[in-house]
Amino acid sequence: MYWAIKPFFVFAAIAGSFSYFIFRSKILLNTLTSLPTKADRSDHIPSRIKSVFVDVLGQRRVLKKKAPGIAHTMIFWGFIIITIGTVEMMVDGIFRGVNLSLLGEAIYGRYLLVADIMTLAVLSGVCFGFFRRLVLKPAYLKTGVDALTVLAFTAGLMLALFGMNSFRVAADPGSTLNQYFFVSGFLGNIIHQSGLSPDLAFVGSEVFYWLHLLLVLGFLMYIPRSKHLHILAAGPNIFFRQLGTSKAMIKTDLEDENATSFGLGKISDLSWKGALDLYACTECGRCQEACPASLTGKPLSPSNLVHDFRTELFAHQAAILAKKTEELPNVVRADSGVTEDVIWACTSCRACEEVCPVHIEQTTLIFESRKNLVLMQSSFPAEMQTVFRNLENNFTPWAFGSDTRADWCRDLEVKQMADHPTAEVLYYVGCAGSFDDRAKKVATAIVKLLKKANVDFAILGKEEKCNGDPARRAGNEYLAQMLIKENVETLNKYKPRKILTGCPHCFNTLKNEYTAFGAQYDVVHHTTFLSELIEQGKLKPAVGADKEVTFHDSCYLGRWNDVYQSPRDILKAIPELNVTEMPRNKNKGLCCGAGGARMFMEEKIGTRININRTEEALATGAKTIAAACPFCSTMLTDGVKAKEQQANVQVKDVAEILAESIT
Amino acid sequence: MKTVIYCEHHNGKIKKSSLELLSNAATWGTEVHALALGAPGTLDGLAAELNEYGPHAIHFAEHAGLAHYSSDGFAKVVADAAKSLGAEILLASVSTQTKDFLPRVAVKLDTGMASDCTALTVAGSNVQATRPMYSGKCFASVDFSKAKPVMATIRPNALGMKAKKAGSATATKLATDPGTIRAGVKEVVAKAGAQNKVDLTEAERIVSGGRSLKSSENFKILEDLATTISATVGASRAAVDAGFRPHSDQVGQTGKVVSPSLYMAFGISGAIQHLAGMRSSKLIVAVNTDQNAPIFQKADYGVVADLFEAAPKINEEFKKLLQH
Amino acid sequence: MKVYVCLKQVPDTESKIKVAADGKSIDSTGIKWILCPYDEFAVEESIRFKEKNPGATICAVSAGPDRVVDALRTALAMGCDEAIHIALPENADSYLTAKSLARAITKSGTPHLIFTGKQAIDDDAAQVHQAMAEFLSLPAVTVVLKAEYSATSVKLDREIEGGAIEKYEVATPCVIAAQKGMNEPRYASLPNIMKAKKKEIKKVTLAELDLTDTDTKVSYSAMQLPAERGACKMISGDVAAQAKELVRLLHEEAKVI
Repeated sequence: MYWAIKPFFVFAAIAGSFSYFIFRSKILLNTLTSLPTKADRSDHIPSRIKSVFVDVLGQRRVLKKKAPGIAHTMIFWGFIIITIGTVEMMVDGIFRGVNLSLLGEAIYGRYLLVADIMTLAVLSGVCFGFFRRLVLKPAYLKTGVDALTVLAFTAGLMLALFGMNSFRVAADPGSTLNQYFFVSGFLGNIIHQSGLSPDLAFVGSEVFYWLHLLLVLGFLMYIPRSKHLHILAAGPNIFFRQLGTSKAMIKTDLEDENATSFGLGKISDLSWKGALDLYACTECGRCQEACPASLTGKPLSPSNLVHDFRTELFAHQAAILAKKTEELPNVVRADSGVTEDVIWACTSCRACEEVCPVHIEQTTLIFESRKNLVLMQSSFPAEMQTVFRNLENNFTPWAFGSDTRADWCRDLEVKQMADHPTAEVLYYVGCAGSFDDRAKKVATAIVKLLKKANVDFAILGKEEKCNGDPARRAGNEYLAQMLIKENVETLNKYKPRKILTGCPHCFNTLKNEYTAFGAQYDVVHHTTFLSELIEQGKLKPAVGADKEVTFHDSCYLGRWNDVYQSPRDILKAIPELNVTEMPRNKNKGLCCGAGGARMFMEEKIGTRININRTEEALATGAKTIAAACPFCSTMLTDGVKAKEQQANVQVKDVAEILAESIT
Repeated sequence: MKTVIYCEHHNGKIKKSSLELLSNAATWGTEVHALALGAPGTLDGLAAELNEYGPHAIHFAEHAGLAHYSSDGFAKVVADAAKSLGAEILLASVSTQTKDFLPRVAVKLDTGMASDCTALTVAGSNVQATRPMYSGKCFASVDFSKAKPVMATIRPNALGMKAKKAGSATATKLATDPGTIRAGVKEVVAKAGAQNKVDLTEAERIVSGGRSLKSSENFKILEDLATTISATVGASRAAVDAGFRPHSDQVGQTGKVVSPSLYMAFGISGAIQHLAGMRSSKLIVAVNTDQNAPIFQKADYGVVADLFEAAPKINEEFKKLLQH
Repeated sequence: MKVYVCLKQVPDTESKIKVAADGKSIDSTGIKWILCPYDEFAVEESIRFKEKNPGATICAVSAGPDRVVDALRTALAMGCDEAIHIALPENADSYLTAKSLARAITKSGTPHLIFTGKQAIDDDAAQVHQAMAEFLSLPAVTVVLKAEYSATSVKLDREIEGGAIEKYEVATPCVIAAQKGMNEPRYASLPNIMKAKKKEIKKVTLAELDLTDTDTKVSYSAMQLPAERGACKMISGDVAAQAKELVRLLHEEAKVI
């Protein structure tokens, strides 16, 4: 009797929950496709496929944290393997006898063994999950009903599996398959020894079968409404991740006559990729742990940011699907989790993106929100108004006359492109090198090195304008595009073979963002160029003044562009110079606090990011802190002064250290 | 040539810069008329002071409506006086008052005016004047050929006080009528706070300190110096961050941008964010113990010394100077 | 209710000033032209007035060569409703500027209020506000830090020596010349910048105002650059000697004290 009705109930349960699941998933998919903003991620297909293998199957970033990483990997792989059995269960439930045993005992048995071990692995992982969330409680990890429900479901599923399998063993003690059950066999024996009759044991196994089936189907229905959605969204999000120059900021089409808004104002301004980012987040909190703003008491937590955007997305899902989004409120508002202070606290260091296991683009949310705040609402920190004015009138963020841009090298006999248009290398000095007295010394050191190595170079002089980075990172896309277009015209006039930049911000923008405006050139940062000169024997470092050095990685050089080795190569090439790494180095380096145009803003909330980093640098005991960026140098110098160590510790650019070691 | 000089006065004393003008006018060989405005009976005491600079004549325009300053009243009375006296040259020293009402006088006299001149000479009927333009980045020689009478305001201290010349003119009372006063001063409120100081952004002189002051109490050294030379006190961002001075005192990229005639920086290194705020100062003096501080690249005068020793000594020297 | 804002386009403060070949004017090549910072406060004040008095129309007026149209667009982008460009040659003085502004305003419609900045940072003459008011027979208050508007009058705070404040109450219509700090000028949003590009700017010639470009009073016969700022003069000696020498130099050489 039971066997006659069981298939119908199983079928009904599966059909019901699958229908619901598909129904809700379609809504999620339609939400994505209903968003009007476009995004193109059709480039680099082979790399994308590779990324899915390495990041999804290989769990590359997940494993960067040892204990949770291993636990998650066990759960991930365990679940994949167990799912085979789950499907088998469902099919067998409807068509009795149609199961993997048809493959023969050799294969089936091995599957059962692996699956059983994996069940234990998953359960262990889940136990660790509970332990971590309820006992260890790291600050960056939020535990709510959702998280606990997911863990509970999973634990329940594993226990149900063990239940089912161990009662099956007890129900058929003579089965040859029992030897393959590692844990379940052991449990099954205990049940059998307790004297329970095989018939009752069979009932028990069916009870657990139903428990397992209903839990799986229930979990399936729960997924689209919870953060566990990441199991569907993570793979695609990783496939569609940022690659190559797509680390560049989105080029907003400001000439679009039909555009009623620019940047991210309402939640419906997201692109499908942005929404997919929100689906993929499982609130692991690693981004918050890495974020310098969160670290120093600012209201910005990338994890909360993504969560808040997602809440907003689901709150207005109906309007998005109906394509009636005119009345939606702005995401950034005083009474939501996303206040203006949150948006402006970001230094764009990309530490969040670096650690995110599913490659969420948190900074895109920030940048696009800034665009809307600046372009549509004229709302930005008051200090930026002067910066914007200066950029408009003098093409530099500081108030210096644009025609004094080449004054720094008046006495250095430096050629200008206008006089020497065929120069091998165009040295793009940057605003800091041209106007900041401290950075001028670095530019002078670079010139000295280039001359020493007989490099044929020239500068743009007055033709050079700010590359547009401060305006762009501050959300003033209109001003940034104006500056970029003017520079592109100048660069395309000269078509330089190589562009050497003195600053990582110039480097990043010229290399990655100018392509979208029609200027694609071979752009290199001065540390890379100088290290190549050393390699080629054109520069021969001798013993210099700096012996104990620590190197601070610039975000725009490192995480933004993967340049970690060049400055270290230079330092290693200098005899008797010893480099001590800070604990947070390379792609884990802490931002100096000046990125994202924050160099020009007041830091009013929490503690100072640059002080935090300076303390770390001072703790290495090095007498020289080396940097490769004028902003980093300024922030670290301020930090050294604030710690009253200026008599003991110096901050120098790598170029200066090298120049001093070459007579 | 008849030269009429508007003499400003406060609290029963003629303004020093008006006397400066009179002393210079005495050397030009023109007929110098001193003109002062006020309520009836309040001007008589000024005659003696004016006579120390030997004007040909002294005129007092007295009317109840002139008890308080108003651009309407003062402009009408001065224009009427210039006409009735037959002024060929009408001058005044630059002040907030003369900047306000003299442009109206020029229109009433259907002439033009050269304001804030830093040099003025009169030889016969030829008037030569020079005035700064573009915040002092350029100096222009003025051509008055179409402007009759010649009108000009002169910057205080630009011509320098010339020798006294005893005179004995009797003050005449001019018949005046300021007319309907539409914009008259109702009340004058002195600036709140211990220091009666101009806001940093409009200050002519600024004394500024950095983190090296070490405490807000130590800023008193700079406040004393500022009081001596009528300067406003400013601070670098480091000093403001350390809590020594309020944010409203911050000079720099994210603070206030200033353009005084004199900027004295004590214990400020001169990082670009600070420089951005005070670069257009006409004269920069830097005092710092570090001879390599970037600020010396931008300063006109540099003193490598400990500000705790230097500032009080500089204050003493200023006091000695200003007592003369 | 018509409100006017008189503004001037001037070289950016960081522009290098060079004397033209004729020695009488400045070389305008390479100059970045901006809306005079003091006039920006005036534009902002007029827009804030309009926000509180929705019936008002704000008309920006500027007298000068064709390039001043850019400054008028900036004012329109900030929120002014209309603009008038009076075509004036480069050498116009305060007298002609004031007269042409007064006549253009009279022609355009009776003003309720006229805002302007306290001075233009190119010629630093600080005359046009009061001169124009005199041509219009209107009262004017300059160096204004604060204004409170009521239906028929304005209460004004004027800054004088020592930071002291003169308090006025003036019946409208009147002229108000803004001082730095009167308000915080807004940064134009992109939609407003785009809209401003399409707004019409009315051009008025001097002939239409019964004026000619020779109706000036003051002109400049020569322009000269000051001596270049030399390197920093380091004062040596012990602290007492340094202090003495510094004060001496400030008094006798630099003549600032």
